[in-house]
Amino acid sequence: MSAPSIPDSGLAGGVAIVTGGSRGIGRAIVQTLAAAGMEVVFTYRDNAAAAAEAVAATPGAKVSAEPVDVRDSAACAAFAEKFFDRAERIDLLVNNAGVIRDNALAAMTDEDVRTVLDTNVTGVFNMTRAVAPYMISRRCGKIVNISSISGEKGGRGQTNYAASKGAINAFTRALAVELAPRGITVNAVAPGVIETEMSRDVRERAADQVLSRILLRRIGRPEEIAHAVWFLASKYADYITGEILHVDGGFKME
Amino acid sequence: MTNTSITKEEIMAIYPKVAETMADALGREVAEMKLDASLINDLGAESIDFLDIVFRLERGFKVKIPRGKLVEDARGSLSEAEFEKGGVVTDAGFERLKSFFDEVPAERFKNPFKVADIPRLFTTETFCKIVIRQQRAAAAATPA
Repeated sequence: MSAPSIPDSGLAGGVAIVTGGSRGIGRAIVQTLAAAGMEVVFTYRDNAAAAAEAVAATPGAKVSAEPVDVRDSAACAAFAEKFFDRAERIDLLVNNAGVIRDNALAAMTDEDVRTVLDTNVTGVFNMTRAVAPYMISRRCGKIVNISSISGEKGGRGQTNYAASKGAINAFTRALAVELAPRGITVNAVAPGVIETEMSRDVRERAADQVLSRILLRRIGRPEEIAHAVWFLASKYADYITGEILHVDGGFKME
Repeated sequence: MTNTSITKEEIMAIYPKVAETMADALGREVAEMKLDASLINDLGAESIDFLDIVFRLERGFKVKIPRGKLVEDARGSLSEAEFEKGGVVTDAGFERLKSFFDEVPAERFKNPFKVADIPRLFTTETFCKIVIRQQRAAAAATPA
């Protein structure tokens, strides 16, 4: 996989933070941004082996991994400060870390609700609050949140996940208003069904049903999300803010 | 913690750096900064500028300034009910504000005073005092 070969995306030499970069979409984002010439630090929660593997998968690139639980605001603040002290700039934040705990609402445990909202929503608040002041003080920066098709269209057994991603869409629009005067853009990418470990369950459970609703009749690839992030992070998207970019092959739902 | 014990000398010792930091945050020349300039009324600051100024002061002076505590500190020992009613500062709260913001010229206090207008009181000197208080708090917390 390689980044689109348009010269000068404006990303080379820049510095990016990607939350949850060990696997799936996050990993593709890390690789794409690194291929575009950015220094990338990604966070992971507890799977150090997967993180190390992701770092090793980008030889020659400036990619590193830090164990940070985005649910912990103090940890996010300490991480951002430490990273800024070393890199002296943060050009891009990609809030990608997310979890899924599908179940019918009646069968959903407190833990299912808490885990999804804490990671997918509070985690985004925590990391963005930690990083935004560094962007505000430099009067530039880009924030890209990874949302989901579930944020707008209902998915069975996904009340917790859908609520979390709907919140991210609202967060994205509200923060875009707040940070625009400081030259910072805030956008989101809303993936449809993508070939990752996280979506394996839904793909296996209802493959035909899912495919029949995708206009392009195929599951998306992680790098197709990464390319959308690359675009929103690049100088070609300097005039775009508060947008939710759907990358879902034309997913329809009743 | 009171602020009356902060001397003019202490304030003037850090003023140049505070003024420079604030000028950077507000996109102004240092020469435009004045000790008693109201951030909002005289320097055109918005609420997000307060965040930026606090952030820059924290890094510049190596202190921690807890978020959301700027106005809370102004309330001091008064409870919320003693301090304000329906968004308007009580008489007791008004007296408290005048003593807490003793660096602010008296004519800027007008009773009734809205809670939402407290940020309008903040001056360059107010931020000098915040830094000094936090420096003292950090020194007190560090074992000798």
